[in-house]
Amino acid sequence: MAATSFNMASTIFSTLGRTPVKQRFRNRIVSSVSGQQEAQVEEEKVVKPMTKPRPVEPQINVESKNMGREYGGQWLSSVTRHVRIYAAYIDPETWAFDQTQMDKLTLLLDPTDEFVWTEDTTYKVYSKFQELVDHYEGADLTEYTLRLIGSDVEHYIRKLLYDGEIQYNMNARVLNFSMGKPRVGFNYKGDEPV
Amino acid sequence: MQGRLSAWLVKHGLIHRSLGFDYQGIETLQIKPEDWHSIAVILYIYGYNYLRSQCAYDVAPGGLLASVYHLTRIEYGVDQPEEVCIKVFSPRKNPRIPSVFWVWKGVDFQERESFDMLGISYDNHPRLKRILMPESWIGWPLRKDYIAPNFYEIQDAH
Repeated sequence: MAATSFNMASTIFSTLGRTPVKQRFRNRIVSSVSGQQEAQVEEEKVVKPMTKPRPVEPQINVESKNMGREYGGQWLSSVTRHVRIYAAYIDPETWAFDQTQMDKLTLLLDPTDEFVWTEDTTYKVYSKFQELVDHYEGADLTEYTLRLIGSDVEHYIRKLLYDGEIQYNMNARVLNFSMGKPRVGFNYKGDEPV
Repeated sequence: MQGRLSAWLVKHGLIHRSLGFDYQGIETLQIKPEDWHSIAVILYIYGYNYLRSQCAYDVAPGGLLASVYHLTRIEYGVDQPEEVCIKVFSPRKNPRIPSVFWVWKGVDFQERESFDMLGISYDNHPRLKRILMPESWIGWPLRKDYIAPNFYEIQDAH
């Protein structure tokens, strides 16, 4: 993965605070696991159901750290097709993978471009991610916890797909409809087909 | 209905309970967890020098956990070796059973698997840790009250 990502470096954009870029949404959100305002978020939920993502500041001169064999040669991650979560800071331009900053989680959303994303839908996924990260505050930082978060984000993406908010990208390199084949005159809400 | 080994154990005053015979006619005994280590040593000295398999299962929802040992007595020139099946039951809360690793070394990975799947903690096992599931896994997958986490799997793809 590292090699391919590296080549794609010029098309990486960090989403937040930017205008959406049409061709690629290899986006990332970086947010602190130890979010301080959990109680506040709980209160906010009642009025405003969407959690506001709290991305970390973009850093400069990031170097890959602690990736060597002497550190175990591994990293903490949850990788599924559309959601890749790493417990590290990853530089969006150079893909430098700083494992000393394990207090941050980096989300790579849909690296294979299976879906067509808009700024709106990416924001929904990010806020879902932030909500889950806040929810799991205090849990052990293990692969199991990351996988729980990653799976919930995947389920959320599937929900968005079934609700018709995102579509399959017909120009994707691999077109195998991994979240179910598109169907005509069908929706999951139980309404009459249109 | 008492088998040969049961009679021998009774003769030497060792506490056990006979559970009858299985479909192959192999004697089955129940032994308390606190007696199991000493009786295992005695059985090894008696001649059961080979542990054919060790497994574990969940008896009933909310019930006991069982650890099962199939012992065989291997000798030269014997085509029908003596066999016995030992069952050790332990409560679901804090299940502890003495490990027989120091008696039959082959039980090493099998007890680790029982620990991984059912959470039975084997006392005195040298490296009791998960063997099949990732080390950060939570829960004991083969217990009857285990609820699998709703992980997104590749099987979800159609």
